[in-house]
Amino acid sequence: MTDISMHLSTDEIELWAQGLLPAARALHLADCSLCRVEADRERKVILELVQLPRFAPAAGFADRVMAQVKIATPSGDWEQR
Amino acid sequence: MFSLLYRMVRDRALAEDLAQETFIKVLNGIKSYRPEFKFSSWIFKIANNAAIDHLRRKSIDTLSLDGAPSAETPEQMRATSLQLGDRTESPLDEVQNRELGTAIERAIARLRPEYRSCILLRHVEGYSYEEIADTLELPLGTVKTYIHRARNELRGYLEDRRE
Repeated sequence: MTDISMHLSTDEIELWAQGLLPAARALHLADCSLCRVEADRERKVILELVQLPRFAPAAGFADRVMAQVKIATPSGDWEQR
Repeated sequence: MFSLLYRMVRDRALAEDLAQETFIKVLNGIKSYRPEFKFSSWIFKIANNAAIDHLRRKSIDTLSLDGAPSAETPEQMRATSLQLGDRTESPLDEVQNRELGTAIERAIARLRPEYRSCILLRHVEGYSYEEIADTLELPLGTVKTYIHRARNELRGYLEDRRE
């Protein structure tokens, strides 16, 4: 069992940033300014990362891929699409 | 998967080529897929290997915004650094600069490729530590270390920017 006075580990700070830190450890965070500073810094980076946009390839990408895929024929041979 | 590749190699056209190579390997090699492995993890594994192989082949990982890690003098750093804006910008360059020009994207670009894959899988793709370890075939402890170091480095880069 974790001692309530122990500083938060990196894993616990990540749990806190995700809203998953157990209540007992959250009590320590509420009382410890060192952990709060550390947790805030960590949360800022995690937030920036999770908000990163998704990118998509240019139009026609799927067609270009499928043009190079070999499809098995009923005879067991391979056929280029 | 395209986002991961794009952030790994920071070149749209190249990321598309690697994505295409990945999908062709996946579709042509579907018989070698093992169902006990998550399908998306299998695709990410092939994609990540393609990116890492490319970076190793081309030594792009030594080309950071600050120059090669081996560069010790300001002259060496300048000679090996990426020169942004020193040539006419094509429309594709413009798109890339807009997409990857934010502080966080530039900070990610400065990470070692191994750290970059881990941090992107964790916080952009939402993979658990265990899934990352399976996908990248790394020990769980190594994955945790890479992610913690990557976040520390990112914090450092971003805080330097704010100061």
